[in-house]
Amino acid sequence: MSAHEHHGHHIASVKMLWSVGIGLTILTVLTVTVAKLGLPSPFDILSALAIALFKAYLVAAYFMALKWDNRFNAVLLIGAVAFFLLMVGVTLLDTMYRIEVVPSF
Amino acid sequence: MAITEAKKMTTLQVKRFKPSENPTNNYLTDEKGVWAWMTTVDHKKIGIMYLVAVAFFFALAGFLAIALRTELWTPAKTFIEADTYNQLFTLHGAMMVFFVLVPSIPAALGNFILPMQLGAKDVAFPRLNLASLYIYVAGAIFTFAALASGGFDTGWTFYTPYSSDGNGAGVIWVTLGVFILGFSSILTGTNFITTIHKLRAPGITWDRLPLNIWALYATSIIQVLATPVLAITILLLAFENIMDIGIFDPALGGDPVLFQHFFWFYSHPAVYIMIVPGFGIISEVISTFSKKTVFGYWAIALSSLAIAFIGFLVWGHHMFTSGQSAVATTVFSFLTFLVGIPTGIKIFNWIATLYKGSIDMKTPMLYVFIFLFLFSIGGFTGIMLGALSVDIHLHDTYYVVAHFHYVMMGGTLMALLAGLHYWWPKMTGKMYNETLAKISAVLIFIGFNMTFLPQFVMGSQGMPRRYYNYIDQFTPFHQTSTIGSYILGVAFLIILYYLVKSLFGGEKASSNPWNSRGLEWQSTSPPDFHNFDHTPVVINGPYDYHKPMEEFQLGLAVSHNGHDAEHTSTEVEKTEEKA
Amino acid sequence: MANHSANHPAHVQHHFVDSDQQFDSAKLGMWVFLVNEILFFGGLFCAYIIFRAWYPELFTQAALELNAFWGGVNTVVLIGSSLTVAMAIRSAQRNEIKGLRINLMITILLACVFLVIKYFEYEHKLHYGIAPGSFWDPTPEKLAILDHPKANIFFSIYYMMTGIHGLHVLVGIGLMIWIYIRAGKGHFSSEYYTPVEITGLYWHLVDLIWIFLFPLLYLIE
Repeated sequence: MSAHEHHGHHIASVKMLWSVGIGLTILTVLTVTVAKLGLPSPFDILSALAIALFKAYLVAAYFMALKWDNRFNAVLLIGAVAFFLLMVGVTLLDTMYRIEVVPSF
Repeated sequence: MAITEAKKMTTLQVKRFKPSENPTNNYLTDEKGVWAWMTTVDHKKIGIMYLVAVAFFFALAGFLAIALRTELWTPAKTFIEADTYNQLFTLHGAMMVFFVLVPSIPAALGNFILPMQLGAKDVAFPRLNLASLYIYVAGAIFTFAALASGGFDTGWTFYTPYSSDGNGAGVIWVTLGVFILGFSSILTGTNFITTIHKLRAPGITWDRLPLNIWALYATSIIQVLATPVLAITILLLAFENIMDIGIFDPALGGDPVLFQHFFWFYSHPAVYIMIVPGFGIISEVISTFSKKTVFGYWAIALSSLAIAFIGFLVWGHHMFTSGQSAVATTVFSFLTFLVGIPTGIKIFNWIATLYKGSIDMKTPMLYVFIFLFLFSIGGFTGIMLGALSVDIHLHDTYYVVAHFHYVMMGGTLMALLAGLHYWWPKMTGKMYNETLAKISAVLIFIGFNMTFLPQFVMGSQGMPRRYYNYIDQFTPFHQTSTIGSYILGVAFLIILYYLVKSLFGGEKASSNPWNSRGLEWQSTSPPDFHNFDHTPVVINGPYDYHKPMEEFQLGLAVSHNGHDAEHTSTEVEKTEEKA
Repeated sequence: MANHSANHPAHVQHHFVDSDQQFDSAKLGMWVFLVNEILFFGGLFCAYIIFRAWYPELFTQAALELNAFWGGVNTVVLIGSSLTVAMAIRSAQRNEIKGLRINLMITILLACVFLVIKYFEYEHKLHYGIAPGSFWDPTPEKLAILDHPKANIFFSIYYMMTGIHGLHVLVGIGLMIWIYIRAGKGHFSSEYYTPVEITGLYWHLVDLIWIFLFPLLYLIE
């Protein structure tokens, strides 16, 4: 607790911010290129999501400064994503196993 | 203020002091006039205004309930039309859930008590707190606009396609109203989480947090995680009505069951938003009136969080008959049983707290016993409804109605009444009439069981809910239920009478009429505008009934600014041992 | 009233003990609000995932109507604005108010560029009658491409997702104009820049959402 510096007031360096910005731009070009390759079915979505997740990590860790921030703020972000995944996962348990996709009325 | 002893500390110097009796200045005398109340950022005044608003909607929705019960006196039409009946039960449900139960304990009592139990001067964001009250009022205005533009008869759950088929303006208005109302709930939750994390007075470590705070913390987490999903659901539903976007409407290729998933992802956790803060009140009251340290502090504290978490995994048990896949149904049924575990842990710990306590049967305690009795019935019937095959039989019958009222009215509302009576002297500085209070509590118990016990029987015999007519064999059950609802009505009128009367000419309350060890009772009654004379340093735990009352005085930091509760407390602890 | 108002700087509200406590609280509060935002958009993402799992062929077909080039340009624009807002916070921390204002101005301009591109994308689609909900009325040539009974639902989801995201961009612009004006009045310094910091957090989240919207909507081949 006392070891880590005064939380919330970490000042980012210009070099670091620009590197992250350029990195994000390169990743954007990369994801478009990969999409144009036309990978077979699950891999196209997986590669797009993997790149998006890595971009999201860069934004959260460096731009939003979670790397230097109070640990609890990162817990909140991860918790929110976890509950979103829970919502999707459990709903899919229903929608993917229905006898009829949308019940007719 | 009498300084009884001063201690030399390593880094933190602490004096002890006692709050004065009969303060000349308190939060009620601080700023006067309607305008001062409307623009106040004081959490206590906002709490009181919430209380009044919640009481208003409770009276309104309660009145509707009595009208509904009166209509059900005879199997056919008694005095209102079938369409009106549909609108009335929808309105009763929507108002009770969104305007009464959700904000009742956190926003009304919680707002008042939470900063006091933390030794804080206010919640973290006082202006957002006031904003949440106005957002609540705006939500109410939209709901009344819905009534003016033709009403709505979808049931409080707004299921598609009822709510997407030619229901028109009424549904759009009320869904927007609920959308807006969600923000008031979100703001309260955000405020509470931040306040609990950042504004604790020195000495209040996580293991000295009152159980009421743990419960409100769990509640706030649910509010923050679930309410936005309701917001997007209800927004999509509004767009479904405004411009047929077709995500939920089967006529346009959408999936109505998806609406139910979205809706219950909020609304199932929402019943824990309603009941968990009630658990917090029960823990406080039961300890105070048994004069005993609460049994199983961590078990009670963590079971609140466990309920909050498991509550997110069980929503599909509302949808067993909706066409949901068999896989999901089975998983949901199994997970539903898990909720019983942390709830059971709480009940057992409360009972253990009572064991060999010196029980003082004051009105708040009476409500706790009523709670334990009614809520247990509500909980057990919930387990039955969670069992798949049983639910197929009982789904959408009066059995569900009875279960829900045993949990929500027998649980949340009884806890609210316990808390209201418990903290009334603190909030107003006046004592209520104990005799009348006990009489009305007993009347509520009798009236409640008369109203809802027959509904279990009817339901298991096949009486569907939300029906306007019924077959003759159910007449005695319905009539008993109606009489019970009248008794309930009378009991609530008595409560209103003696509480209002106590404001004018009630006996003056001392700062700690129940001899509680809680921090909020170590302030004056009613509290000062800043809650405490000084930023207190908390030396003892909230349930240290094994220590004599004289030790229960606040510490006063002399040389430390009081930031960082965790850090300061260890220092206090150390010197405690020396002394 | 011993320690109620002992050496409180002007920006510290009465119920906080010191500036740090106020800053930490505001930041935590903002993060809790961002949790709300994530789950709010989460509902839309959930609808997207479920319909995509049901009708993968529809999504492949319909995504051809979206222009990946302009979507990509918009992604880069938002990333740039995230960078400048982070630079703005850095300027505030170093007490460089001029730098703060310049960076904010660039951010606002980039946000406007995003909305303008978005406007032309919408315009292009609406021109062919590819509109949400009851306005769904594609021209015959488009109808031949979008030959799927649930094509309207894909575009409903598209419009809801990008529309609500666009609304967030609009709110962000408003907030940053407000900060820009306050910075001009000398409200901020290295001692007090809480509103800059938490608006920045909000803006990064808007960027984060778009980082997922872009591949999910535009890059389905």
